[in-house]
Amino acid sequence: MTDMHIDHKVLSDLQEVMEDGYLQLLETFLEDSERRLSQLHGARNADELGMAAHSFKGSSSNMGAVGLAQLCHQLEERVKERPLYGIEDLINRIDQEYLEVQRFYRGERARVSAG
Amino acid sequence: MSAEQPLTVLVAEDGATDRLLLAQIVRRQGHQVFTAENGEQAVALFAEKRPQLVLLDALMPVMDGFEAARQIKALAGEALVPIIFLTSLNEEEALVRCLEAGGDDFMAKPYSAVILAAKIRAMDRLRRLQATVLAQRDLITRHHHHLLNEQRVAKAVFDKVAHSGCITAPNIRYLQSPYALFNGDLLLAAFTPSGDMHVLLGDFTGHGLPAAVGAMPLAEVFYGMTAKGYGLAHMLREMNAKLKRILPVDMFCCALLLNLSVQRGTVEVWNGGMPDGYRLSADGKVVASLASRHLPLGVLAAERFDDSTEVLPLAAGERLLLLSDGVVDTADEQERLFGVERLRAVLAANRDPVQLFDEVMQALERFGGTPRDDISLCDIRMFTVEERVPAPTLYSDSGRSSPLDWSLGFALRGESLKRFNPVPYLVQLLQEIHGLRPLTGALHSVLSELYSNALEHGVLGLDSRLKRDAHGFADYYQERARRLDALVDGFVRIDLKVEPLASGGRLIIEVRDSGAGFDVQQVLSRPASEQGLSGRGLKLVGQLGSSAGWREGGRCAWVQFDW
Amino acid sequence: MAVETDFSQDGKKLTIKIKGRFDFGKHQEFRDAYESQPRRPDSVVVDLKDTTYLDSSALGMLLLLRDHAGGDDSDVRVVHASSDVRKILAISNFEKLFDIS
Repeated sequence: MTDMHIDHKVLSDLQEVMEDGYLQLLETFLEDSERRLSQLHGARNADELGMAAHSFKGSSSNMGAVGLAQLCHQLEERVKERPLYGIEDLINRIDQEYLEVQRFYRGERARVSAG
Repeated sequence: MSAEQPLTVLVAEDGATDRLLLAQIVRRQGHQVFTAENGEQAVALFAEKRPQLVLLDALMPVMDGFEAARQIKALAGEALVPIIFLTSLNEEEALVRCLEAGGDDFMAKPYSAVILAAKIRAMDRLRRLQATVLAQRDLITRHHHHLLNEQRVAKAVFDKVAHSGCITAPNIRYLQSPYALFNGDLLLAAFTPSGDMHVLLGDFTGHGLPAAVGAMPLAEVFYGMTAKGYGLAHMLREMNAKLKRILPVDMFCCALLLNLSVQRGTVEVWNGGMPDGYRLSADGKVVASLASRHLPLGVLAAERFDDSTEVLPLAAGERLLLLSDGVVDTADEQERLFGVERLRAVLAANRDPVQLFDEVMQALERFGGTPRDDISLCDIRMFTVEERVPAPTLYSDSGRSSPLDWSLGFALRGESLKRFNPVPYLVQLLQEIHGLRPLTGALHSVLSELYSNALEHGVLGLDSRLKRDAHGFADYYQERARRLDALVDGFVRIDLKVEPLASGGRLIIEVRDSGAGFDVQQVLSRPASEQGLSGRGLKLVGQLGSSAGWREGGRCAWVQFDW
Repeated sequence: MAVETDFSQDGKKLTIKIKGRFDFGKHQEFRDAYESQPRRPDSVVVDLKDTTYLDSSALGMLLLLRDHAGGDDSDVRVVHASSDVRKILAISNFEKLFDIS
């Protein structure tokens, strides 16, 4: 099933690799990414923002959240140029994307816990 | 997908999700995994667990990956601990930083289990290769130390062999590179009971221990037989046979042997394979060369071995220069050899004999190239009678009873005269008599002199007046060899009679030959100098014994010793 | 190859040619040249035309060859030796054992 938010191939590979640890991975990601998002919002300067975006990009791509990863990548590149016009906009879009991702992974978590 | 060999792997990654995922991927490949959240933890964990492979995130809090990598590499020391950087950095500068910090490879996000497995396999191969190299290096170092020690011990043993003769006699000057003996160069010298000097300069094939191994048995024969008064020819036969027996087919010993006799004013020479030796006049001019005429020792079987020697006159003050091939064969960078011409130039230019060795060594140094470690130089001056030191003979009995009333007749006839010299055996026999032991040297001289007179002048009919000059010398000995070879009949008979006296005893030696005899009165009336060296030498013999004389028309010489 | 071998038409004469330095480094090759032959040749020729240098280990190798070829009953010839090489052979009087030309 293709969609813009999640790469399902990556997800099924993850399940296979993690085996019984898949649930723990989901939980870790959900917790970890909340933290990363606040890190993003709490960045005091361009460098910190760039690093936060970079880290978030990494874990998102590992989890198959390709849309999120792509947006983080854009942010990472954007902060290298001055002035930082339109940055707020990009961050908002990341927030939106994350809501989708979060909803999806919570659903996964529920599915796996049940089955 | 399981690994070929399970490793311990350290995963340092600050993102919890990524850390969890990566650790699981690696564990599934069969490895044991330790995780760290930042660079500081990574270094501490490395020091404690000593993993074989490290996966390190480049950007971490507290201590970043670069610094952690540097510290881990330092802790690892000589061993190779591969570090794979985990990074999404793709600017060249960032990648260069990874390498400079000690990283061996990169891994990008998202993580691919397949790629990671391949990288781990490749890194592990490198790691094991390094470990093998270090282990082999250590093994080689240990063996090398063993070898050096063995060589040290062997050298100490061989040095004792080389220095148990009379090499320190005042008329011998020599120079040997420190490892010369170890590389097969042998220099031996010893006095015979009658005060003649034997010298051997030898060169075994090969280098190092294999070359030096033949030196011991050879030296044993040399010292043993010289001390008993055996002649050069007999010694050569023994040495050749011994080496032929014990050395492998492709090993042999080039040798130059000398027998210097003050009494006769001669040097007897045998050269098998050594470079030319030189006979120098008292003022250092080259008068003759001692060239190699024989195959080296240890090559020919006994039946084919040629023990014939050359005899040359050598007056007091004249010198012999011997050298090993290390001198002439020294090569410069273009592989040109120092050669005989350059050596002879040095000899010609030399004014002071004491400086000769230094001049040779300086010429070699100026010539260039690498100095060889098998250079032996030996300068022998014909000694005077006062410088003789007869060899101390070793007696094997308790020294109590002596046979004092006996007689013995020993006749050598025909063919036996060609190769056999009875003198050493008879001297040994006489050593049974304790009273005669202090006279061993004199007995040896007397018996040798009388025997050679009887053989040469009596049986072979040679005229001693031929030996007056160098040319005549060569002729004389050539003629001697020819006549001896052609000999069919003839005899030399030695009679020994021992009888006790009131205190001590008396030995009477009679030497008879089958020759024509000579006019005793006429010879004895000649000036002493003529008699001394080249004549029948009876006056000399008489000085050694209590009394001496001729009988039977010159065919029998007798000497009496009282003690 | 530094050591070349060649059998005559009738298989009775073995020729061994040495190129360059004839020293200990050639030991194994030289031995193989005569030891690994299927037939025992009647005579052996050692061709030193391209041999630049000969040392005492080469002399030892010649002795080994002679021993292998029958010792005193062997027929071993050393040919085309340069004057330098001949000098070395001459000092050791090897012409008493080998036919040298």
